[in-house]
Amino acid sequence: MDFEPFPDRIVGTARVPQERRPGAPPVPVKIIVAGGFGVGKTTTVGAISEISPLTTEAEMTMESVGVDDPGPASAKTTTTIAMDFGCVTIDQTLKLYLFGTPGQARFAFMWDDLIRGALGALVVVDTNRIDDCYPAVDYFERAGLPFVVGINTFHGQLSYRLDEVRWALAVRDAVPVISFDARFRGSVRDALLVVLDQALDRAIKLKST
Amino acid sequence: MIRPDPDDPDHPATPGVRPFLQSGSPAVRPAPRPAGPPPDEPASGLRPFVLTSGRVAGPDPNIGLETQVTAAPGAAPTRLPPEKRAIVTLCSEPLSVAEISARLRLHLGVTRILVGDLRAAGHLDVHVLDSDFPDPDTIRRVIRGLRALS
Repeated sequence: MDFEPFPDRIVGTARVPQERRPGAPPVPVKIIVAGGFGVGKTTTVGAISEISPLTTEAEMTMESVGVDDPGPASAKTTTTIAMDFGCVTIDQTLKLYLFGTPGQARFAFMWDDLIRGALGALVVVDTNRIDDCYPAVDYFERAGLPFVVGINTFHGQLSYRLDEVRWALAVRDAVPVISFDARFRGSVRDALLVVLDQALDRAIKLKST
Repeated sequence: MIRPDPDDPDHPATPGVRPFLQSGSPAVRPAPRPAGPPPDEPASGLRPFVLTSGRVAGPDPNIGLETQVTAAPGAAPTRLPPEKRAIVTLCSEPLSVAEISARLRLHLGVTRILVGDLRAAGHLDVHVLDSDFPDPDTIRRVIRGLRALS
């Protein structure tokens, strides 16, 4: 007689086979991790992702802002950028994606595609090159996306006080400025929780209007 | 050397990486362009619209990076070109568009167009969310889930 498995009778183990339901994938939510080159975006994503960060290439439309007269022929150019991402499975029906995107250019990125549906953003800052994060801060402010400024404390050192960074960035008081260490999972998790608090505030406001 | 039959179901298409994809490809332009190779682009490399069967229109904005994609039940992708077949094969379990792009090393814009085509042809189910704005309960669940991480 052939052996017949009885998956519903397996007890005492987490390896209960899940019924394959192709029609019911998890609901995806995403948080953007933005910042200049080399500030630790990939480290941030990798510290908390359950998969090694993957890389995809995407084209982005860039528009020069504020410098020249944006006439009718104003240059909108596309550029190819590499984007790192990872994910955290919250439960079988909910999955958090983290997308790390560069923002070091002297342009405001047209990130409309990317931030569509995003919960919020963590802007990673290296205090030695603080202006690298200006385009991301500008963009998220204008887009109305909740964001948090996270100063990556390289080697645990914070060379400026948080209020000094806040002053330099001139962000609204409602925007949290925090420090975190991109190498440590717990630290990244706490930074993301601050982003999620902001996202929750916005979601509640949107629902009540 | 015996070459496997590309339509052999026992040897599904592997997500091969072509050198011209690794070296980076020009962006898919949303606007129609005149016939002939545009003078401002390098002559080398297969341009993305070859992979997209000439489609140069922008991808469906509803297909986001995190959008979940699954192979349609009963889909038989045997007569598809390799890139599309690789996508359907990968999506035997739910996968995000970004993961498809990364695993197949296909440009994200190309991936989104191919996924849209495969959905239109009935090979894929693309699970577009009802709303762009997650509701508070979903966010609370994410918060609880993250807090539970050690």
